[in-house]
Amino acid sequence: MKKVFLVFLFVLIVMTVFASDKVITLNLIEAFSSPWRTPTLKKLVGMFEEQNPGIKINIISPPYETAYQKINLMVSTEQPLDIIEIGDWDLSTLAGMRKLVDLAPYIDAWPEKSNFVDGVMKAAKTYHGIAYVMPHGLFAKTLFYRPDILKKYGLSGYPKTMQQMYDYARKLTLSSDKQYGFDFRGKGYPTSFIDAVVTSFFDDIDPENMYLTKEGKIIFSDPRAKEGLEFYVKLYKDTAPRDSINWGWDEQVNSFVSGITPLLFQDPDTTGMLNSMLKPGQYRTAPLPVGKGGKAYPSFGFVGWGIPTYSKHKDLAWKFIKFVDSPKNNAFWCKAYGALPIMKSIYKEDKYFSSGVFEGWVEMFNDKVHYQFTQYPLSNKYWGKWNGYQEKTMQQVLLGKLSIDQCLKEWTDFWKKAGIAK
Amino acid sequence: MEFKSKTFVYLMLLPVMSVVAFIVIYPTIGGIILSFRDYSIYSFGNVRWVGFDKYTEIFTDSTFLGVLKNTLIWIIGSVTFQFLLGFILALLMREPFKGRGIFTGFVFYPWAVSGFAIGLIWSWLLNGQFGIVNDLLLKLGMIKSGINFLSSPNMAMFSVILVNIWYGIPFFAIMILAALQSIPNSLYEAASIDGAGYFTKLFKITIPYIRPTLVSTILLRIIWVMNFPDIIYGMTRGGPGGSTEILSVRMINTVFYESDYSKAAAYGVIMVSILLAYTVMYLRLTSSKEVRL
Repeated sequence: MKKVFLVFLFVLIVMTVFASDKVITLNLIEAFSSPWRTPTLKKLVGMFEEQNPGIKINIISPPYETAYQKINLMVSTEQPLDIIEIGDWDLSTLAGMRKLVDLAPYIDAWPEKSNFVDGVMKAAKTYHGIAYVMPHGLFAKTLFYRPDILKKYGLSGYPKTMQQMYDYARKLTLSSDKQYGFDFRGKGYPTSFIDAVVTSFFDDIDPENMYLTKEGKIIFSDPRAKEGLEFYVKLYKDTAPRDSINWGWDEQVNSFVSGITPLLFQDPDTTGMLNSMLKPGQYRTAPLPVGKGGKAYPSFGFVGWGIPTYSKHKDLAWKFIKFVDSPKNNAFWCKAYGALPIMKSIYKEDKYFSSGVFEGWVEMFNDKVHYQFTQYPLSNKYWGKWNGYQEKTMQQVLLGKLSIDQCLKEWTDFWKKAGIAK
Repeated sequence: MEFKSKTFVYLMLLPVMSVVAFIVIYPTIGGIILSFRDYSIYSFGNVRWVGFDKYTEIFTDSTFLGVLKNTLIWIIGSVTFQFLLGFILALLMREPFKGRGIFTGFVFYPWAVSGFAIGLIWSWLLNGQFGIVNDLLLKLGMIKSGINFLSSPNMAMFSVILVNIWYGIPFFAIMILAALQSIPNSLYEAASIDGAGYFTKLFKITIPYIRPTLVSTILLRIIWVMNFPDIIYGMTRGGPGGSTEILSVRMINTVFYESDYSKAAAYGVIMVSILLAYTVMYLRLTSSKEVRL
């Protein structure tokens, strides 16, 4: 009996070894796990595994709040990983470790490269011009508005300039006690909200750096920044609920859905939530209003895939990345996730992405005169400190505890110290 | 023989002590060491010793005094009212009445909920636009327009303290009630015979009798409240404009916003030092009076 058992065990071990030799497992770690997104990723993985017998993908989904830290730790200690999801704000950390593969040879050999939306390659090469990441979704702020509420107060269309937006918002605010105009963001990374308004007063922002003019001057030391910031404060004081100094994403969405503030700047991932809370047509998007400079400077946020240098299956990892980023799968993915697809063809062929919900982005992408995409200095060492610092000082300005001049001086000093000026 | 038995005692204590060392002493020392290095998300590849740099950065920060002031207001405001109201509640609950069991259960309920959850719930209740508190006050005609509970600096501090008081009363009530129940009834009977009134009994019997409990509860509570960022983080994250930022919230913000783990560790060390100094002082002050009891 004992012998039989031993033989059985031996056979089992041999089989396992043999079998594991045949099946290759790739480890994938995601950075933005969520109850909506992870199942979509699992579906895509299932499809990939079906088409590629012998390859198994093991998904690691750390909780959203600690994902960056876990990824950074795993990569720095060379834990077995083959595909890493990289968020734009984490790219410089991972790239700085020198543990990411330059994907340029892979991307260049991919016929779909010519189908990329403008900005995809720029995003891929964010870190010192090396393509460390293959984006799978883009983010950019645009104007969300509620046609039903605007109509109720006799307003039609949508505001095309910042001044018009102020006028719309002011009219709404004055029309009823419970009605306001602008959906202000006071806390929890308000950076891109402030900058969208302030930079619109310029016409010469550096396409590589949101905080520099083309001449290499820090924008906050320019008189136009003062004008922009004054306008931003006016927008808060005259058209937004006082309470919104304490609003984050949740409160913004809530207020937009209830119609209290029908003008909102947001990213595409907000559409998922809005689609479930509002009826079709109750909200639309429009391009960001242009400012006094006649332009608006949106920035691209992005999420993508990277391959660690120590992975033993780099080619297979790329095969998977190519699979999930293909036009058909990318459309499926972005719909569930609420990101902007990376392939031009999707905007033309998929009805969802050319519907009223996406008008704002489509128009911004097509209008290169008024909309110039720029970037944040994400690889700067001071970037991490900036968000909290800007939030706090901005709130102090809104509360009247800090003057606009003093605030701009502090912001200028901050970026001078960070060494971005040319 | 004595030496041997002593060795034996230490030997027996060793397992427990090693567990304590592992979960308390090791992280503490680790934290202190961390505060002297430059360990941030931007320097994973190049972690080096920076001496007192992080501390200098903290102490030369113009907002640091404000944070200390906020911490003090937060502690005094919270603990004073938690204590007073908890005491009153305990006195009320000592008297037997119908449904006391159920009532006691309800009273202790806030204590069972997570601080972050409480912070989030109250941030919606007190929301200036769609908060239920404003809605009720408006409907009752007590106010004409919504109160900005969390968006004006003074109101924000008041609001977070109010919520913390609501949250902390049960703890005092539980501790004090337990102590009250240990007072022998004969003392009160004797006092009644001598003609003592309610307040005489309260100040001459009740309070002196439960004094040790009060002393230790207040001590503990102050330490906890200082180390308790949950409610503030859930409600305001230290805003608006830093007006509710206390030390522990600043520490979390340093990790989440700045990703500077060393500076956060330095804040931790500062907090521990303050609490250590406070505890020593507090125990000295109170124990000298204890003797007189």
